[in-house]
Amino acid sequence: MKRTRALPRVGLAVALAIGAILPLAFLVVLSVSAEWFYPALLPGQWTSANWNFLGRGSAVIFSSLGTSAALALSAGFASSIAGLFAGREIARLQGWRRRFAVALAFLPVAVPPLALSIGLQYSLLRSGMGGRFIGVLFAHIVPALGYTTLFFAGIFAVFDWRVEDEARSLGANRFDVLRRVTLPLLRRPLVEAFALGFLVSCAQVPLTLLIGQGLVNTLPLELMSYVSAGQDHLAATAGVILTIPPLALLIVAGLAVRRLRVVIA
Amino acid sequence: MWRGDPSINDYVDRWVAPRLLRDYGITLRTIDGQGPAIVNQLVVERDARARGSADLVWINGETFNNLRKEALLYGPWAHRLPAAKYVDSLSPIVMRDFEQPTNGFESPWGRVQFTLIYDSLRVPAPPRTIAELGRWIRANPGRFTHDQQFTGTTFLKSVLYAENGGARSFAGGFSEKRYTEGSERLWAWLEGVRPYFWRRGETYPASVADLHRLFANGEVDFTMSYNENEVITKVRQGVLPRTSRALVLRDGSIANAHFLGIPYNARNPAGAMVVANFLLSAAAQLEKLRPEVWADGTVLDVRKLPPELKVRFGAIDTDPRGIPRDTLRRYEVSEVAAEYTERIASDWKTRIRANPR
Amino acid sequence: MENPDPREPEVKGLLAAILVAGPVLVGLVYSLLGSFSVVGPGATGFSLRHIQVVLADSTTWWGTLWTVWIALASTTLATVFAMGTAVALRGERGVDRFARLAAVMPLAVPHVVAGLGALLVLSQSGLLARLAFAANLQTSPSDMPVLTQDRYGIGLILALTWKELPFLALIAFSVIARRGPALEETARSLGAGALRTFRAATLPVLWRGLLPSSIAVFTFVAGNYEVAALLAPSSPLALPLLTMERYTDSALGVRGEAFVLVLLAMLVSLCGVAAHEWTANKVETGE
Repeated sequence: MKRTRALPRVGLAVALAIGAILPLAFLVVLSVSAEWFYPALLPGQWTSANWNFLGRGSAVIFSSLGTSAALALSAGFASSIAGLFAGREIARLQGWRRRFAVALAFLPVAVPPLALSIGLQYSLLRSGMGGRFIGVLFAHIVPALGYTTLFFAGIFAVFDWRVEDEARSLGANRFDVLRRVTLPLLRRPLVEAFALGFLVSCAQVPLTLLIGQGLVNTLPLELMSYVSAGQDHLAATAGVILTIPPLALLIVAGLAVRRLRVVIA
Repeated sequence: MWRGDPSINDYVDRWVAPRLLRDYGITLRTIDGQGPAIVNQLVVERDARARGSADLVWINGETFNNLRKEALLYGPWAHRLPAAKYVDSLSPIVMRDFEQPTNGFESPWGRVQFTLIYDSLRVPAPPRTIAELGRWIRANPGRFTHDQQFTGTTFLKSVLYAENGGARSFAGGFSEKRYTEGSERLWAWLEGVRPYFWRRGETYPASVADLHRLFANGEVDFTMSYNENEVITKVRQGVLPRTSRALVLRDGSIANAHFLGIPYNARNPAGAMVVANFLLSAAAQLEKLRPEVWADGTVLDVRKLPPELKVRFGAIDTDPRGIPRDTLRRYEVSEVAAEYTERIASDWKTRIRANPR
Repeated sequence: MENPDPREPEVKGLLAAILVAGPVLVGLVYSLLGSFSVVGPGATGFSLRHIQVVLADSTTWWGTLWTVWIALASTTLATVFAMGTAVALRGERGVDRFARLAAVMPLAVPHVVAGLGALLVLSQSGLLARLAFAANLQTSPSDMPVLTQDRYGIGLILALTWKELPFLALIAFSVIARRGPALEETARSLGAGALRTFRAATLPVLWRGLLPSSIAVFTFVAGNYEVAALLAPSSPLALPLLTMERYTDSALGVRGEAFVLVLLAMLVSLCGVAAHEWTANKVETGE
């Protein structure tokens, strides 16, 4: 039976590969070209000017790249850990309390980014966190934490608590149980949650702009400037730069999964 | 400032900033921000009593209007700048922002004029007036449109003036009566040509950048800009095809200036004034005017400058794609009261955009 | 089923949820005040004006409906494809693992870049059109069918589906790997055939595990501005675009209307969350 299914599966794999690689290739071509107008299938001009431009104003680009990286890494880290604890507690609730808690946890995910930005702007600026890295980081953690909490709530909803109970019955205290039993089982979800928080941070535009008061410059912000200015080739360059870290993360996580699966099974 | 145009960014980051550091010890940091967002930002900063973020903001027109209404600008200060004595103070375009006197609350930086942009290969004999444009659109269905933002509104204003005997009939403050009568002719003209617009006038590009893209890729044969020299910079950047040319409508080309203001909560207003003064200097204005840099018009009255500078301004190579300065001056028309712009923009949205059929 | 330690007070979970939602609630209160013109740009003190103007405007409702259509269509497509992909690629062979990685890769691309790419490929002068031109299937952009800035939002739906599929697929892979085998084996040991197993065991598990994420995707898509700005038509004007337009209107007094629209968007999202609760309930009791 498996043999007859092989062909459609391979077909699906090929389709997915094309769907993933072609757009990326398109982006890369855009980033090294200019004057690409209808009906030309190939660009009118090949040039490294876009990469030069983004690299030249070195203070600007490296600071924005550095800021974006720092924000995303911190947000990913903080939201994955906090999300684990929050999700765990929520999953342990029963009945109406659990539904209420899940609905609450949905809020950061459900609120449109512009709404969240406008809403948070006043309070964060008032508390003096405006225009600072820490303020923007806090703002990024709000939606990221929503995603990671829901993610872990889902994981813990099907978590076999007996493992913890057994460990405790064998004499381990709460802390040890967490450290030696629960967390190792959650290594992969933790990586995934980190990636989730990282990606959420990378996607933030109005939040960074409004809370950062324009002082905190990130690459997504620059990307938006280029897109709205019609600078498609520059936008593609910034897009390629923004795509590389998450892509690397996904590939690494994808490869690491193999090993982990074997251990758990 | 708006950081979407690499030419402008280059000018500010690589020419202005190093000189400011070298000559005045000022470190210039540019912050992303544009027009309406600046107003919202300052309002919230005021409400939240937050510390200021920008010392100098790049503004014009409705933004200036709103900032003044909300008392969010520091000033007056601009008339105190040493370089201000060279400013073209007789020009209503430079001294008044949409008919509102600047009163020293903003310092002029550059001036621009509205033009259409066409492709000399595709349209070798372009229309020169609104009436001719109307005929051209009907003869070439689906090849023309305008955007939904400031440039598009400026185009609509051009049509308004053309259909009502010129901008003069709208000068001298806002009049509901004049607006109602005048705009009826505007809507009539639009409804007449609308079925021949791109996509039959059912949808419009969101911004002028989207319109440029349509034009460059041959979906439409015209684009437009409120900067007469944008065609030069955009061709250089590879965003518009090399055969693009600008054209000034004989009915009048709306001119306006853009300015620099200082927010009420600026932490370093003195430094901001030094920067504004530098940007107003002949050297900075000259550099900005060059086609290879930004091609943004100067707000200085060249006649007031010392002879050697006068010569250098005159010697600027005009790019063949651009429009001769005397042609520009001949057809220039200044902006009228800001309310006209607001009304046209909002009425267009309800009357035309909301009714695709 | 799972047994939380009975000694733990239930307060902890609620507290965690409130901490997570807290900032959003603060933001909501601000938006509420803003819609009554108490705070924000152009605020004039308590007034129902903004609410009246926005709710009476047909553009608001058309925009909301259109946005819901886009969100439903792209979420449904992405969910269905994610489920299909998860079921088809559940093995451990090289092909499966590679395909799963490929399915997940678009996650790395920022949304706005995906939108720009879709525009440059699907527009009447885009890559597809140029291929058709090269193949002599068309002579000018107007020959190309309209896929961008169109009334049905086809290009927009495609772009959003492309971006949301990897997210849902990732969750689906996880769900099926974790829960699938146990239930399926049970079903098969009870004598169910392949199709029956799929319908009775695999599908419900997959659906239940995926549902919260699908709702999350729905609300995300409904609130997304950047992709809509590139691919949506000017009429009906999508809710996020309408909101941004109001918030940056040249007339300061109009900007407060954006807050009303913000609350409207929240309402749409909350309907999605409520739908999730309702279906989750049904599935649970149905089991």
